[in-house]
Amino acid sequence: MSGAPAETVARLIPLLEPFNKTGAHLSAATRFTEDLNFDSLIVMEFVAAVEDAFDISVPLNILPDVATVGQLAAAIEKILGEEKS
Amino acid sequence: MADLFDRFAPLMAQRDALLGDGGINPFQVKMDELLSPTEAMIDGRRTILAGTNNYLGLTFSPEALKAAHEALEACGTGTTGSRVANGTYGSHKDLENTLAEFFGKEHAMVFSTGFLANLGILSTLMGPEDYILMDADCHASIYDGVRASQAQIIRFRHNDAADLEKRLARLEGKPGNKLIVIEGIYSMLGDKAPIAEIVAVKKKFTNVYLLSDEAHSLGVLGRYGRGLPEEAGVEDDVDFIVGTFSKSVGTVGGFCVSNHPHFDMLRLVCRAYVFTASLPPSVVVSAIANLKLIKQGGALRARLMRNAEHLHRGLSDLGLKLGSDVSSVIAVVAPDPQVAVAFWRGLIEAGVYVNLALPPATPFGYSLLRASLCAAHTEGQIEEIIAVFATVAARLGLIERPAAKRAAG
Repeated sequence: MSGAPAETVARLIPLLEPFNKTGAHLSAATRFTEDLNFDSLIVMEFVAAVEDAFDISVPLNILPDVATVGQLAAAIEKILGEEKS
Repeated sequence: MADLFDRFAPLMAQRDALLGDGGINPFQVKMDELLSPTEAMIDGRRTILAGTNNYLGLTFSPEALKAAHEALEACGTGTTGSRVANGTYGSHKDLENTLAEFFGKEHAMVFSTGFLANLGILSTLMGPEDYILMDADCHASIYDGVRASQAQIIRFRHNDAADLEKRLARLEGKPGNKLIVIEGIYSMLGDKAPIAEIVAVKKKFTNVYLLSDEAHSLGVLGRYGRGLPEEAGVEDDVDFIVGTFSKSVGTVGGFCVSNHPHFDMLRLVCRAYVFTASLPPSVVVSAIANLKLIKQGGALRARLMRNAEHLHRGLSDLGLKLGSDVSSVIAVVAPDPQVAVAFWRGLIEAGVYVNLALPPATPFGYSLLRASLCAAHTEGQIEEIIAVFATVAARLGLIERPAAKRAAG
């Protein structure tokens, strides 16, 4: 996956704060499972928050390929790109 | 060295911490003898069954027993074949006709379980270009079905029609069909879908279909037991109804009914239908017999709701936290999994069986003691269930003391 767009990462971090139960440092490298202990319920809530903040659809199908905040930012960029085209 | 089961290590550790102390394992309960639809012998104790989803108590209906005995003698113990090979007997078609007539739909397809019905229908209906919008609290069989479909899967917030509308609006203009997937009654907390609101949202968009899983609402809701769409008066707006025979119908099997003109095409392409053995005829005729009882089952439904109100009021009066309003499913919310396990063991040792349900299988990460009511429960049994909950909850310090015994009725 391409490099994480810094601007999108910066928008994701405040969205992540309410779900950061482990107090992990949040950056493009933060891993959802290992660093943040995300389970399926938290993923649901967080994805819904991302969809609403960016006004996009984030299909469940892409989630297996998204392990870090940076990878999510790249996936969002891709979705935004497709919606414009 | 890596072991095949290493990826389950965290779950195994959790299991051992929670259940590894030698106490009764809630996930390995064995019923040695069934005394009635509402009682069994467990560990040598007469136990009230309050967690079997046997909503109408039809597992021993004389009509179904008689039909099943006759079919066993006449047709044997199994079909040994798929519906598309040697596994369709006259009774399988009779059951499909009974279902179509029961729901007032053109087409009906019978599957070998409810899980397979969801898996088969969802994975086959929707292709890679399509979108599935599913309620976040849907059952595992729905999750597995949509994953196998290759469609794009979008979840909306549980029972939130406005959230669904927002998500459908984002898909406007995209090619492909959209399918909304909901359940009539959600199994863990017993809450109903706001189906009239969801239908109203559906009608604002084009190429949107609605599928409702009536597993827990068939036989329970609606004047004739057709589930939530009947109760809410929106049957014509639900394109596909999926259901099971393993709850109110009192046997096993699954189905889907629809008015779609090409519905029968699924019989050739739905892998969960084609590549599995059909139901034994004794099961099929049991379902036919009990569906007839369900249609005329207004008195059973009234009895079920009376029992539900009784249990809900009783547990609520004790000061226990309940998962939702009065429903055929009543879930007590425990503060954490450890307390839930202790609570469950206290109940079973006092002769009351309910389901223990733990996260992540539960909404909101709840730890639940999940009871389901039966029309065949007596008032005395409901009183006993409440009294046992009171004793165990007080012992665990969840309530101050057992509430003073109230006059029955």
